[in-house]
Amino acid sequence: MLRQLAYTTGLALILSGSALAQEEAHNDEDVTLYRVFVGDHAAPRITAFDLETPDNRWTFETIGQNKLYGVNDGAAVVAVQSDNDAVHFFNSGISLHSHGDHSDIEIADPAAVKETLTGPRPFHVIDHGGKVVINFDKGGYAEIIDAHELSHGELESKRLPQARAHHGFVAPIGDAWVTSVTSDAPVEGDAAPKRIGLQPVNEDGTPAGDVATCTAIHGEAFSGAYLATGCQEGVLTVMAGKDGLVTEMLEYPAELPSGQSTGTLIGSKSMQVFLGNYGAKGLVVVDPVDEPHFRYVELPFRRVDFALDPANARFGYVLTEDGTLHQVDVLDAKVAKSAKVTEPYSMDGHWNDPRPRLAMAGDEIVMSDPKAGVVRRISKEQLEEVGSIEVEGMPYNVAVVGGSGKVHEGHGESGHAHSHDHGEDQVYKGYFEDSQIKDRALSDWEGDWQSVYPYLQDGTLDRVMDHKAEEGDQTAEEYKTYYEIGYRTDVDRIEIQGDTVKLLTDGKPLEARYASDGYEILTYKKGNRGVRFIFKKTEGDDAAPQYIQFSDHKIAPEAADHYHLYWGDDRSALLEEVTNWPTYYPSSMGKEEIVREMMAH
Amino acid sequence: MKKMKLTRIVASLGIAISALVLPARAETEKLSVIATFSIIGDFARVVGGDLIELRTLVGPNSDAHVYEPKPADAIALARADVILVNGLMFEGFLQRLVEASGTSAAIATLTDGANVVHDPDGGHYHYVNGEAIFHEAPNDPHAWQSVSNAKVYVENIAGAFCSSDAEGCSTYEANAAAYLDELSALDTEIRQAIADVPEGRRVAVVAHNAFRYFERDYGVIFLAPQGVSTESEASAADVASLIREIREKRAAAVFAENISDARLVEQIASEAGLALGGTLYSDALSPAGGPAATYVDLMRHNLAILTAALTAD
Repeated sequence: MLRQLAYTTGLALILSGSALAQEEAHNDEDVTLYRVFVGDHAAPRITAFDLETPDNRWTFETIGQNKLYGVNDGAAVVAVQSDNDAVHFFNSGISLHSHGDHSDIEIADPAAVKETLTGPRPFHVIDHGGKVVINFDKGGYAEIIDAHELSHGELESKRLPQARAHHGFVAPIGDAWVTSVTSDAPVEGDAAPKRIGLQPVNEDGTPAGDVATCTAIHGEAFSGAYLATGCQEGVLTVMAGKDGLVTEMLEYPAELPSGQSTGTLIGSKSMQVFLGNYGAKGLVVVDPVDEPHFRYVELPFRRVDFALDPANARFGYVLTEDGTLHQVDVLDAKVAKSAKVTEPYSMDGHWNDPRPRLAMAGDEIVMSDPKAGVVRRISKEQLEEVGSIEVEGMPYNVAVVGGSGKVHEGHGESGHAHSHDHGEDQVYKGYFEDSQIKDRALSDWEGDWQSVYPYLQDGTLDRVMDHKAEEGDQTAEEYKTYYEIGYRTDVDRIEIQGDTVKLLTDGKPLEARYASDGYEILTYKKGNRGVRFIFKKTEGDDAAPQYIQFSDHKIAPEAADHYHLYWGDDRSALLEEVTNWPTYYPSSMGKEEIVREMMAH
Repeated sequence: MKKMKLTRIVASLGIAISALVLPARAETEKLSVIATFSIIGDFARVVGGDLIELRTLVGPNSDAHVYEPKPADAIALARADVILVNGLMFEGFLQRLVEASGTSAAIATLTDGANVVHDPDGGHYHYVNGEAIFHEAPNDPHAWQSVSNAKVYVENIAGAFCSSDAEGCSTYEANAAAYLDELSALDTEIRQAIADVPEGRRVAVVAHNAFRYFERDYGVIFLAPQGVSTESEASAADVASLIREIREKRAAAVFAENISDARLVEQIASEAGLALGGTLYSDALSPAGGPAATYVDLMRHNLAILTAALTAD
């Protein structure tokens, strides 16, 4: 892990000297955390633990055997219980926000989302373009869930009906949708209808184009601009073109063993390429653009499970039934190295018999070993076990979330971190217990801050108002009037250093030193509450206010990412002021960043 | 020296890749160069001439910001001696590609030493199939739109080639020197042509704000919408504020760009009552035979389009 961090830093240096200089100005801690979710083979139970510190462990009860998917960059975990007609959702507690040159990581406990989905035989899950789509194989529809709302702990779903119930999938591509389709020929008894291809549909399920043939369509993945899906005749690729969807059938070439096909695909996140199964003993590297589109990798034994490394697009990992783990070089389409990592698990028997499952976690492969009752940690580099974690019962399906990122502890420049954790979200909205409130020091607001009022005046925030109007019950104009009163101030900049606060109006400073004067809890008309953290002037300019009161949606020590400031000479009169709340963001933030930050809340 | 380099590649990548590397290296003793996109590919071609074998990842008329790297790119990186990159977070795909390739090539960041513009907005928008995509970058990466910065790119390329191929160094330096003279002349030509445009008319409108360096060096102001999507109704207000700005600053023309579809600028032009002034080449060359197949042609083409539209009545 250390090595990887060093490498990343080295590359940043190569790519952008100035970015590195900025990094050094931050006083932030780099943190790597992977969290493993394991579903038991028999019991309706999910165990979650942190890979490095497995004593950080949580157990969740569900109603059936769980197949697990990390979605929305690992912010949430979906637990599909096909045989029990249920889908449960979990906030993973880890969220990563990419900022181009670095990521921010936020860590909390995992939590079950209260709402669940029920319906006839949920199966395939697709996580793409801000949507999580779950196919209900016996319901004849897919539920489309908003991924962002899910990471806030809310389940907002829409149903896309299919012409006929089948074991299939629905996927978003650009602004369009596609669904697998079946023949409409009648079937006897319980027999499944024949799956024949893929069709563009509108969000209400009505056809939006012709069916592209893909016999026995099964297995789907995204990589780069493409969706790929397995068929009897080849792999069908789909991409959004200027004038609608473009599909192409990449037929299996003659060199591949005949009579077999691809039914499971994994898409690389960092290079436009897919790794698929092919027959029982093979894998194929599928290149949607360049020839050869297929390169076959023959394995010595039947395949148990395989995974692609999201961190390094070059390698995939596959376990064969003899208990050997193989590293597959995707560029070279060859097994690069192999090592025995567990006892044999024969592929004879049912597909859902207890056998190991693989997931990637940074420099390690995480492998469930149901018969041994452990989750094994295997190094990518050596293919050697570096640890094993006991899990009650028969650990089976796994999902790993997390990664590396910065935990912001600095101020000002780094103040754009924000929380999406459910509990903190409630606090943000003003719902909390008195016992949760803790005294805070002025250092929570240290830094150089800018007023957002000028951005309201110059139209920069019009988009935020439009956004509020879309979500809320007032028009953009009404919101703007409300914020015009709220944000209004002539103090355009504030500098806070140690116990010194400088209020700047047109560059003219009022400077004074302040000491904590406790806090007050306010109850608003809507029923939610806020906490004012109050500071009293100890010395400084005569004209500087006697009191300043911060309100930043936080109720315990934590660096502010933005705040509302009230100031004046009468402590209690200030507490009555609830319509004008001058608002400040870090001076280092650009207009666009502020707009996006505001729209995220 | 090349033999040593080869050993290093083999050692770091293992036998699998050496099978790919060996025949290629035996065929040619040329320096293997990767340019991440077409404009620096052109610089590399001029400086390297016959001594290099060049592969450009993001080709003509293509947007590097939405480029999806392919396995063949990773294989090419693994074989390369020198990789030329813009830097300033222009090539978002590069880090993962470098990692996947395991390359040990020298990576030269061509904007090192360039006069860089800080982006007050922390990034800019690209428009892809009607959608606005935010490209986060604290510094504006489109530094080549300043010819004096282009000269820094060329000097950096010559330096990188010399470090990897001492034998060819004098050739690289001679090629670069001749080209630098050409670029100095180009810079003068642009300044003179813009000077001939009446001062009040030096305001243009584009979709993707890739011309800040041109603005800084040559004094043509570029207005661009922020995050407007052609298909979102919510963007009506943003277009409206851009239209206001267009009127206040008396912008003279709206321009399309070779890497974006023109729907958004067509909408802006019709709402602002302005003519479409033609297509500017921002982040990529045209294909060979097109109006901007080289960097010099690109700058001349943009200059001609701009001056014609801004001076038109």
